[in-house]
Amino acid sequence: MNLFRTALLLAKKDLYSELKTKQILTTQIIFAGLVIVVFSFAFDPANNTTKAVIPGVIWVIIVFAGILGLNRSFISEQRNDTMQGLLVAPMESSSIYLGKFLANFAMMLVVEIVSIPFLFLLFDFKFNGSLGYFVLVIFLGSFGFIAIGTFLAALAANSKSSEMLLPLLLFPITTPILIGVVQATKIILTNMEKLSSAIAWIQLVTAYDVIFFVVCFLLIDYVLEV
Amino acid sequence: MNYEYMFAAYSVAWVVIFGYMFIIGKKHNKLKKEIEFLKQLDK
Amino acid sequence: MSMNLEREKAVLTGTQLSEVKSTNLSKILFGATVISMLISLYFIFIFAAEETTMHAAQKIFYFHVSSAWLAFMAFFVTFVFSILFLIKRKRIFDTYAYVSAEIGIVFTIIVLTTGPIWAKSAWNTWWVWEPRLITTLILFFIYIAYIMIRQMDGVWDKKARLSSVFGIIGFADVPIVFFAIRWWQTKFHPIVFGDGPSQQGGGIESSMLVALLVTITAFTILYAYLLNKGVSFENMKIKVDRYKEKLREELEK
Repeated sequence: MNLFRTALLLAKKDLYSELKTKQILTTQIIFAGLVIVVFSFAFDPANNTTKAVIPGVIWVIIVFAGILGLNRSFISEQRNDTMQGLLVAPMESSSIYLGKFLANFAMMLVVEIVSIPFLFLLFDFKFNGSLGYFVLVIFLGSFGFIAIGTFLAALAANSKSSEMLLPLLLFPITTPILIGVVQATKIILTNMEKLSSAIAWIQLVTAYDVIFFVVCFLLIDYVLEV
Repeated sequence: MNYEYMFAAYSVAWVVIFGYMFIIGKKHNKLKKEIEFLKQLDK
Repeated sequence: MSMNLEREKAVLTGTQLSEVKSTNLSKILFGATVISMLISLYFIFIFAAEETTMHAAQKIFYFHVSSAWLAFMAFFVTFVFSILFLIKRKRIFDTYAYVSAEIGIVFTIIVLTTGPIWAKSAWNTWWVWEPRLITTLILFFIYIAYIMIRQMDGVWDKKARLSSVFGIIGFADVPIVFFAIRWWQTKFHPIVFGDGPSQQGGGIESSMLVALLVTITAFTILYAYLLNKGVSFENMKIKVDRYKEKLREELEK
């Protein structure tokens, strides 16, 4: 599969350059930490009702930290016009998309692995739901968010003010994911008896992920045109 | 009899529709003036 | 990316900047709009039976539903012309998509303002977090984003391409948004047509249905008029831009 090989190559390139500079990952993680601190001001961690907002906070962190990474993923190719190089390279534009997606997704997962335990720790949240389902929801939600986010980042990168444009494009489009994962996370973290409706939400998010991943794959040719 | 709500809703709707048409008309006039100017320039 | 290849050099040669004529079609559509609007007002206020629990406030229903219908139709037209543009790459398709999206936004604003007024009179609260309202709000944001892509700087075909892509994605998103929100919470809107659990009896009286259909027809004609007007305006603007380009080239000589 040539498509996947070039995509992996591209993802590796992005991750290597990220490992060298550690610019985006550090920013994302520090930002996530700051969001947690801000939330501790907004909602008293000592208060028991705060537990109810934890599922929402998790996703606020993921969404905003994710936006930071997505913004950089295509803008970083503009200096030295390396985007032009990628476009004229002998590979499909869908593998550029796939490569960028893999790199962003990997970074997103690292941010989540660091920041979510940190959040539970600081808010003294006793985890008594099912860890497997929790990880599944986080994985599916991030997958959909990053998939559509990478696509729209490629689209927004054409604008001079793409940092401002991307959230405006991304948030309305991802509302179904955000609703679905927040509901599912809430059920899994606080009320395991209603697991069946959490599973229904997971199915909705999965369907969204599949539909939009395919649509993005088909349409990326039009976005990444020379 | 709830007339005020009906009145409010319909006035909002008409204001928006006519406002949009007004804005289009204004843009139209501006363009017309520009065309006149260009024509003079061309001569 | 950085592909400012300045492709907008298709300079118009020997253009006759004909006056922006209000063509026959536009005139006919304007007349039809005025007449059908008057008829629909007659049907709404005189013909249709008055609702027993909400009285006059119920009349908001006709404009509210018709605006929603028009907005959805407009966005659907944007969706269709976006696909057509990506296949055929003709500028006229892009113009249609753009003008239609703009009209859609205008009527979404009407839906979003008459909706709360209705809510206030019927349920005594301005805003209800109800699937159709939230979906309309999200729809509004999606197409604002669409317009913002159009406002980008750059050559027209790049903008047209990107906004077409977004027009397709945005429209594909709408049903999913609706179902997600409907699952999330569903309480308020009675299901007027077809079977289903509804509040306060539900259903619709035949005179009201006639009035609604007449209003929807009137709005559809209004849409046709606005679309025609907007497209001819955009075309004129494109022509003027090309003409300016030509003049500038002559000056540079």
